[in-house]
Amino acid sequence: MRVDRILAIAKKCLRSLRHDRRTVGFLVLMPLLMITIFGYTFGGNVKNVDVYVVNLDQAPANESVSAAIIANLESRNTLHIVRLYTTSDGLTQATEKVKDADIWAAIVFNETFTQDVTSASGGAGQPAMIGLTVDGTNPNIVSSISNELLTAIRAVLGQRAFLAPIVVAPDLIYGKDARFIDFFAPGVMGLAAMMVTFMLSIISFVHERSASTLDRLLSTPVTEGEIVAGYALAFGLVGLVQSCVIIGAAMILFDVMIVGNVLLALLVIFILGVGNQGLGFMLSSIAKNEFQAIQFLPLILFPSLLLSGVFWPIEAVPSLLRPVSYFIPLTYAVEGMRSVMIRGWSIDGIWLQLLILTAFAIAMLVLSTYGLKRRR
Amino acid sequence: MKRVLEGEGDAIHAHALRKEYDSLVAVDDLDLQISKGVLYGMIGPNGSGKTTTIKMLVGLLRATSGKAYILGEKVPIKSNIARIGYMPQEMAVYTDMTVHENLELFAELYSIGKEVFSKREENLLKVIDLVDRRDGLVSQLSGGMRHRVSLACALIHDPDVMFLDEPTVGVDPELRVGFWKYFGELKASGKTVILTTHYMDEAVRCDIVGMMRLGSLIGEGTPKELMDSTTTADLESAFMALSKKVPT
Repeated sequence: MRVDRILAIAKKCLRSLRHDRRTVGFLVLMPLLMITIFGYTFGGNVKNVDVYVVNLDQAPANESVSAAIIANLESRNTLHIVRLYTTSDGLTQATEKVKDADIWAAIVFNETFTQDVTSASGGAGQPAMIGLTVDGTNPNIVSSISNELLTAIRAVLGQRAFLAPIVVAPDLIYGKDARFIDFFAPGVMGLAAMMVTFMLSIISFVHERSASTLDRLLSTPVTEGEIVAGYALAFGLVGLVQSCVIIGAAMILFDVMIVGNVLLALLVIFILGVGNQGLGFMLSSIAKNEFQAIQFLPLILFPSLLLSGVFWPIEAVPSLLRPVSYFIPLTYAVEGMRSVMIRGWSIDGIWLQLLILTAFAIAMLVLSTYGLKRRR
Repeated sequence: MKRVLEGEGDAIHAHALRKEYDSLVAVDDLDLQISKGVLYGMIGPNGSGKTTTIKMLVGLLRATSGKAYILGEKVPIKSNIARIGYMPQEMAVYTDMTVHENLELFAELYSIGKEVFSKREENLLKVIDLVDRRDGLVSQLSGGMRHRVSLACALIHDPDVMFLDEPTVGVDPELRVGFWKYFGELKASGKTVILTTHYMDEAVRCDIVGMMRLGSLIGEGTPKELMDSTTTADLESAFMALSKKVPT
């Protein structure tokens, strides 16, 4: 083994890189992007979880334990109290809002709450109870709300030297027996479909260009739109088959929860697959070769993985990065699939997610077609 | 419906066709007129503009200026697109598919019926001498064989005008003779074949030869006319003689 020959090979590799400015830029910027997103996301706790509070407690404001607990909750930012009701009308409205998934939970203090706390503290009566009607789709959110309530209760009881326990009685609207695997499964399905369709599309199409088969196709009667649509159909189906494998394995091995229509969940996957295929197709026009194409993978993968609610709720994404979450199609696919698989919703409940994903897919296909036409 | 009719008797008619890439002029105001049923050979060194000219005619590249007509329709053609066949210089076949699957794909893109396809496939596989490799993956074929598959893909829809960019590159001498025989048969059946080659010796088989250099046509005529006008014995010498007359 000779050092000069090793150095010659190393020099060759670095020289090749030097001529590829995009790759050099990628090598510098990508780790920067990764550490920024990872750092912010992993450092973040669940914040601003939307809840309604229904406080029916009749105690005077200066004595009210419920008011003290609410004030304590408001002093931190884990929960975001969207509305505070003080009449029993609010109870129905708050429960409906949880059912519609507009808010995560409704926290209810009954009419005799402060009185119950005082009585229990004196050794008489049952412990006071806080009603918690919560959407159980996301176990992270459920435990964050419960923990936050317990923290507030402990603080208030400590301040007032009450000894009585206060019981939080959760009532899960959805996902009564949901486990973390039930929460993960829709996310993993969406992520896998997204990755596969994007990668297949970008690599195949860069190859199609570099091997001149695209020129050959374009010299036939086939139109640019037909090529794009053909690709979308093929890779959308690939994403679908892959999702079937994941969902089949999840059902057999982990008995994953599927309350709604599994076909609807697969429709979400198909539309997501078509959209990401279009994205790959579009980005392939920027890449000159497979090597450059593959560099787009982490650029798409990391934000999707960390910011779209696959592994932790959007509420755990730092507010600085949260707007990015709403620009990631996977966010809507994961939300839509969870609504179908855990909440058991039909198309009425996920029309918005379907609309956004369809708009994304159409936009990508139109832009891909335009890109192909422009190429001539 | 044809948009513009010009030189309808010609297979190809181009006027002042030009392609520029920034400061580089790849094709320099080229005039070209090729009659139907002609075997036309475009010869010249690498970078002389042969491939760029073909790509502009086929509609894959937009000309910077000038215009061209194929079978009377202005380029980029739409209604006559199924009447042209194009074989790119690169292999341009799907290596992860079999020979049959490649041919079938292009037949489907031209909406050719199954029966017609079967007959044409059988015939073309004989011409390219790959009958026994019909169901083999293209990735398992040699470079020359892949080139032959590429040629078959360009001809599967029986086009009237064929643009073949370097069709004989990588083909062994014996099969090359077979190819030229087949091009002759195509011409005899009324087809127009426009091919590029840098094998000047084989261009002598063409009816008309266009010699290109630096994006311009420096000579055009039958091989005999070109050799006679330059008092040379072969096309290579004729090309060299014509090159010297043109300022660089």
